[in-house]
Amino acid sequence: MSKLSGAYYEIDHMNMVATRDQWVNKIHPLVKLVVTVFYIAVVVSLSKYNLSGILLMGAYPIVMFMLGEVSFKDSIRRLRIILPLVCVVGIFNPFFDRQVVFNVGSISVTSGVISMVTLMIKGILTVLASYLLIATTTIEKICYALRQLHIPAVLVTQILLTYRYISVLLKEANTIMQAYLLRAPNQKGVQFKVWGPLVGQLLLRSIDRANAVYESMMLRGYRGEFHYSNMEHCSGKDYLFLVAWIVVLLAIKYLPVFMYFNS
Amino acid sequence: MSHIHIDMEHVNFSYEKNKKILDDITFTARERDCIGLIGANGVGKSTLLKLLVGLESGYEGSIRVEEIPVSSEMLPKIREKIGYVFQDSDSQLFMNNVYEDIAFAPRNYGLPEEEVVRCVEHAMQMTEIGHLREKSIYKLSGGEKKLVSIATILAMTPDIILMDEPTIALDPRNRRNLIHILNQFDHLKIIASHDLDMVMDTCSRVILMSDGKIVKDGDVMEILKDRELLEKNGLELPLGLQERKPQQ
Repeated sequence: MSKLSGAYYEIDHMNMVATRDQWVNKIHPLVKLVVTVFYIAVVVSLSKYNLSGILLMGAYPIVMFMLGEVSFKDSIRRLRIILPLVCVVGIFNPFFDRQVVFNVGSISVTSGVISMVTLMIKGILTVLASYLLIATTTIEKICYALRQLHIPAVLVTQILLTYRYISVLLKEANTIMQAYLLRAPNQKGVQFKVWGPLVGQLLLRSIDRANAVYESMMLRGYRGEFHYSNMEHCSGKDYLFLVAWIVVLLAIKYLPVFMYFNS
Repeated sequence: MSHIHIDMEHVNFSYEKNKKILDDITFTARERDCIGLIGANGVGKSTLLKLLVGLESGYEGSIRVEEIPVSSEMLPKIREKIGYVFQDSDSQLFMNNVYEDIAFAPRNYGLPEEEVVRCVEHAMQMTEIGHLREKSIYKLSGGEKKLVSIATILAMTPDIILMDEPTIALDPRNRRNLIHILNQFDHLKIIASHDLDMVMDTCSRVILMSDGKIVKDGDVMEILKDRELLEKNGLELPLGLQERKPQQ
């Protein structure tokens, strides 16, 4: 399977995972969205030297991976491109912040190293939290939750359609690549001089396809606002999920016992 | 005249000056008509269908759907009455799964969820795709995609169905199944196709086009049996009407 076909099936697989019959998948999307945003806000707000606090924040993804039965190995594989980029944040901290905090044998650990590690873990945790939201909630439900939060319809529709058009773009790109490779059997990859026409073709085809999809939507009554299937109201378990996580996250951030642990 | 009808009178359409795509098109289609729109490639069949639903605009003449003129202000009303099945099903289907795609139009028309469910179930029953309900759009075969495309427009409960090359890229079994399903609909149908055998099996009337003009409008068998007329306009007798030469 080519990389493009692989990416296409990855998206399809993610949709399938999000529609599974797991307990976490059934939590109201608005609750999951609020908890995820709250989690990211708390993680980001922790001090850059609060390494143990950040490590404790790992509880949320661990619990969600277990409850949702989402494969950790697959998640890391899917996030293999974004995670290193996230880790680059703070990579220069050790050069600027050289105050020694403690020594491990003959090695001095500076506050710059701690802040670098903290920032890396912060990045990883926020990406994992976002991934877990997508892995347990379909894009339609996430968009429904965004609308419930009164995010403007035009913005939510952009998100939904961008997600949809990724598949369209991948499919068109795959078709073009297959047509090219079948007529260039002895080549590895695409020749530099052909990149221009190929990308141009991809752009034109994608515009055509996107236009056709838009026409199809207009012919079926689309007037600028997606109408999502009626969701049930939040139930007791949804409120419990919301309150439990808010309490746990705030406790990690503010309770003296955890602060003592952090120190 | 029945209330479900389409009237086109002296319609001209072109993308560029002095290059007419449609030239003086006049015809009327009535309730329960099933019209095959045939002609060689590029004669304007698809353009004619697109004009009816307002996907192309800027025509001369008069187009009326159930007495409503096809104009930009009236398009929402017109589109409630007409279901248009695209040639390429991949362009028609865009939601996550089959159920959500079929439910897209009823939800847009503001139906309550119970009514949406009823419309979707009815559309799936008519196209015999109940088993595909939860299936991802990406995993459908070509034949399944075509049936789902038809179901998406049936869920709108249209009065009129327009189809652009519905049997293209279908294998014989799916093609036969599609013909069987189409014959069960009593809507006004206009089917643009090169598949003259399918037209023969589904339509009662044929409009033959050439160079943007209507060359002949009449009974399906009368036109499809006329070898000279078909060949003159870039077509051939349907396979079902061709004499088979004995193999040596």
